[in-house]
Amino acid sequence: VPHSGSSMNRKKDKGFEICINNINFQRKSVIGYVELTIFPTVMNLNRIKLNSKQCRIYRVRVNDLEAPFIYNDPTLEVCHHESKQRNLNYFSSAYTAAVSAVDPDAGNGELSIKVPSELWKQGDEMKVMKVYIEFSLDQPKGGLHFVVPDVDGSMAERAAHVFSFGNQNSTRFWFPCVDSYSELCTWKLEFTVDASMVAVSCGDLVETVYTHDMRKKTFHYMLPIPTAAPNISLAVGPFEILVDPYMHEVTHFCLPQLLPLLKQTMSYLHEIFEFYEEILTCRYPYSCFKTVFVDEAYVQVSSYASMSIFSTNLLHSGMIIDQTPVTRRCLAQALAQQFFGCFISRMSWSDEWVLKGISGYIYGLYLKKTFGVNEYRHWIKEELDKIVEYELKMGGVLLHPTFSGGKEKDNPTPHLHFSIRHPHTLSWEYYKMFQCKAHLVMRLIENRISMEFMLQVFNKLLSLASTASSQKYQSHMWSQMLVSTSGFLKSISNVSGKDIGPLIKQWVDQSGVVKFFGSFAFNRKRNVLELEIRQDYTSSGTQKYVGPIKVTVQELDGSFNHTLQIEENSLKHDIPCHSKSRRNKKKKIPLMNGEEVDMDLSAMDADSPLLWIRIDPDMSILRKVEFEQADFMWQYQLRFERDVVAQEEAISALEIFPTPASRLALTDILEQDQCFYKVRIQACFCLAKIANSMMSTWTGPPAMKSLFTRMFCCKSCPNIVKTNNFINFQSYFLQKTMPVAMALLRDVQNLCPKEVLNFILDLIKYNDNRKNKFSDNYYRAELIDALTNSLTPAISINNEVRTVDNLNTDVRLILEEITRFLNMEKLLPSYRNTITVSCLRAIRMLQKNGHIPSDPSLFKSYAQYGHFVDVRIAALEAVIDYTRGTHFVLTTNFLCLSFSMLGKLGPFSWSGIFFIFQLVCLLQRLYGNCSCHTKGLIVNKRNPPSCLSIQR
Amino acid sequence: MADSVVMGSGSFNSGSRSGSSKTSTSPTDNYQLARRRTLQVVVSSLLTECGFESAEKVAVETLTEMMQSYITEVGRCAKATCEHTARSTPTLSDVVVTLVEMGFNVDTLPVYAKRSQRMVITAPPVTNAPVVPKALMAGQKRTHPSYIPGHFPEFPDPHTYIKTPTFREPVSDYQVVREKAASQRRDVERALTRFMAKTGETQSLFKDDISAFPLISAKPSAIPYLSALLPSELELQSLEETDSSEQDDQTDTENNPSHIIQDDQSADKENVVLPPGGVVPTGKANEENMIDNPYLRPVKKPKVRRKK
Repeated sequence: VPHSGSSMNRKKDKGFEICINNINFQRKSVIGYVELTIFPTVMNLNRIKLNSKQCRIYRVRVNDLEAPFIYNDPTLEVCHHESKQRNLNYFSSAYTAAVSAVDPDAGNGELSIKVPSELWKQGDEMKVMKVYIEFSLDQPKGGLHFVVPDVDGSMAERAAHVFSFGNQNSTRFWFPCVDSYSELCTWKLEFTVDASMVAVSCGDLVETVYTHDMRKKTFHYMLPIPTAAPNISLAVGPFEILVDPYMHEVTHFCLPQLLPLLKQTMSYLHEIFEFYEEILTCRYPYSCFKTVFVDEAYVQVSSYASMSIFSTNLLHSGMIIDQTPVTRRCLAQALAQQFFGCFISRMSWSDEWVLKGISGYIYGLYLKKTFGVNEYRHWIKEELDKIVEYELKMGGVLLHPTFSGGKEKDNPTPHLHFSIRHPHTLSWEYYKMFQCKAHLVMRLIENRISMEFMLQVFNKLLSLASTASSQKYQSHMWSQMLVSTSGFLKSISNVSGKDIGPLIKQWVDQSGVVKFFGSFAFNRKRNVLELEIRQDYTSSGTQKYVGPIKVTVQELDGSFNHTLQIEENSLKHDIPCHSKSRRNKKKKIPLMNGEEVDMDLSAMDADSPLLWIRIDPDMSILRKVEFEQADFMWQYQLRFERDVVAQEEAISALEIFPTPASRLALTDILEQDQCFYKVRIQACFCLAKIANSMMSTWTGPPAMKSLFTRMFCCKSCPNIVKTNNFINFQSYFLQKTMPVAMALLRDVQNLCPKEVLNFILDLIKYNDNRKNKFSDNYYRAELIDALTNSLTPAISINNEVRTVDNLNTDVRLILEEITRFLNMEKLLPSYRNTITVSCLRAIRMLQKNGHIPSDPSLFKSYAQYGHFVDVRIAALEAVIDYTRGTHFVLTTNFLCLSFSMLGKLGPFSWSGIFFIFQLVCLLQRLYGNCSCHTKGLIVNKRNPPSCLSIQR
Repeated sequence: MADSVVMGSGSFNSGSRSGSSKTSTSPTDNYQLARRRTLQVVVSSLLTECGFESAEKVAVETLTEMMQSYITEVGRCAKATCEHTARSTPTLSDVVVTLVEMGFNVDTLPVYAKRSQRMVITAPPVTNAPVVPKALMAGQKRTHPSYIPGHFPEFPDPHTYIKTPTFREPVSDYQVVREKAASQRRDVERALTRFMAKTGETQSLFKDDISAFPLISAKPSAIPYLSALLPSELELQSLEETDSSEQDDQTDTENNPSHIIQDDQSADKENVVLPPGGVVPTGKANEENMIDNPYLRPVKKPKVRRKK
């Protein structure tokens, strides 16, 4: 019998019908039934195992015969009460075992149905069986999330809604199913909801029919494309409907009153569609697409078959600058996952990296096309830095683990404190890094086989899948819709004819990154550059690299690429130089991109023709490079290298060279309009650091002040900023950032210079947005951040109690601004309450520096349910920051309380989990790594705070 | 005779009057009271002249009322007569005509006035004349030009017809304007937030002085995303303003080409994306009707099962 996936499966789904005929928002309950059509693949199928969590199952029938069933969810009690071991390692292994015990890929499940003996004979003939299950769900703690605002009116007027969510395969939380990505079937979905509501689900809406009493309507959906249960979703609410003006088969849904924002936000979705369809030379696989924006979304973006659920907080009006690119990125991510993740699913958990890699990779291509090459390279560098930092700190991230047996000894990642065997046992942070690494590795493959071949491979995968999807059920055909690591690699070798085995072995089958240390010497006699590249492959998270590495050397006569071989024992590499060190002063210097520029060469070493050296400039190795070269070389690199990555590297290197020359180079970059704005932003902060190191010799006005004045202040009165006009986004971002960086300046007494503080206060005072097309809420928030940055510890005498009377005059001015901002926000709230968020941070900073009494009560009130989520997170951050001091015990009690408090509040599970989620992220910074998933919280650290272990 | 009754009603009357006099203290009321008192004195003296020694208050009051009515009527008729002849101030002849009309023999008047036993009443004490608000003095009051007879009314005060030039020029210095706008906004905001803080619940950063830096307390809302995401009315309003002003600023040539390009692009895209059989929307108005989207279709009525 042909099988896909695990050989332990003894059945195949063919068709799946789910009908939810009652959704009660008041009680937060759901009643419905499912009907599976099963095709036995073995003889004597007498027991059927399905996944189901937290559902109450009323009856099960197989081919209209009542069937007995057993329900057992081992994750409900991970450690038995009698067990003596009470530590997190024990918990972790017990939890992994519990998850394995119900793993659908291994043919397991929580729900075990005994096939009635009357049918055994039929089973022998391997005939189709129909399994009918009636179930209900009461106050679900996962899977479905109810949002029911506490106001008057009908549920529709209250904007009550419900949607499915979950980490990986969590569909079992809301209906019994085979909760695996590799079990495909076709779907028929029916949802009966209140007449004022809309039910959005996967597939085509066939019809909407009123019930007999005309008070409810039933939405009938059909999904003929074989789809795995985890890719099924549902959203019900009084949504406003927007048909995409460019693509009528695409429909957008948002909560009441937000339609104008939805129109604005969705105005460019068609461009993303076009882009993907063009590069993949493949039409979007589903016949329709739906986007739903919901409140209290678990993650910003989640993709399901033919629909995506987004956080409502991604919506924005046309006046908002900062949110726009963020939202566009989210949309692009969602759409990329429609192709790879929803339409094409995975064979097993260890093939996950292929899907995440491809969707992340094509998303990167979209970024490159929409936001430009600079933005793309900047993003790649950012992602690379992130993964390198994570792996060096926490240990390697393994993309394609192979599990030989069930033993603890065979754990492929012994350095991690959790098991990577299942998506549910994983640390959330680890999974984020996993996705990051996956798309970076895809880029490495592209480097190796060219983008053209890469896209051909994707196209091949898609066209095979779409041929398979249109077939009637045949057990082997549908497996073409599942991607596996081996299938993917085979496809690559077929298309490109290249062997990428070593690359896969290095980055996919093996964890860790490479850590290079580079230094050089110039041998004048031989006119040779003696480059030394050492590796650290003994620390945690590192691996040894053997193979080619590209080195780019900018000489007086031009830029030259060299490919060196990193071998076992060779550290030194001789690179012959092309230029004579004696330089012709009048000659222009050719750059890598063909440009020829004049340079002031007086700073460089007269004996050497080397301007700068870059190791692995294309980021074609997952590595960290620490390279030593002279300060003037970094300065040349910053000024003249056109690659933004090189410029950013130069800026971070210059931090340790506080000289007038560095200052000048940074100032020049800041002033250059053509320079990428993110580089200029980074230069601001570097300049502030350098200025502080050069404090005693610094001449002229504070760093950046005259520059800011020249760029953004009135010609006639330089102390007054121009009225806001943010039409040029580059200068908008710079205008926002410069005051924040300037506030980091310190004088000899280690205080923020009075001049700078007054300057920032003036910016706030004269800020005038009346003539601006865009909102200035982010700008004002950053001005408050600037005030926060200007704070320094208060001089305290004998630990006196902070009172209003002994308030420092500068602090009084700052506090007055913050009070006014925070109070104004209550009357005229800003977009996403950015100003409240900044004010809370500022107040915490004032407390921390001892200017005002340290007291978490204000933050506790802002942390309550019912404030905007960004505000709550900022408030919780402040509370946690408060615990860092001496108040640890006190506040951990609050945090425990807030866990339980969240429990009491309406959407327990959900909001609770969401906040635990956020808290865990915060705690993570505080205590190290923790992990969390939808089922609950696991804090897996060797020495966790005792209060948190109670949580499980 | 009916003394007690009369006295009673008199006391009632006086009581009510005194009550009213207590409550009304305005100058005109005072004036009326003074006049009434004078009239009463007149009536009393006439009664004395006629030989009465005493009179009930209510009788005096009635006679006073009659007297007052008579004088008022004379005045009213005289005014009417005078206005009838297109004048504004009654003259002696008007009064004479009036008296004649009212059936009074005018010829008896001089004799009556010169009777020997008449009593002389001292002039009423000069009460404070109601203060006439001083006319606004602006410019020179104009005299009549030669062609207007002197008896014609004078010109009204100049402020009613001349224009008054202001001599302060509006401030146009940019720095001062910005300064003013900034501090004005700040003052308004500060006043408003302080008012809100004073009238509602507050939170404080200091324990010793709760009134210093009061923060309006944080109140959770049922649907927090609405206020956080939707632009405030103020922002929308200012956006509309800038939109219109921008159109004024920019020339048409700047605006048009980009619009045309955009339109072209979108038209192309629609052609590409729509299935060949699909409808290409021609105008935005028609678009809604022509879209075939399952979510826009009407909800079907349930099928009625036939009863067997």
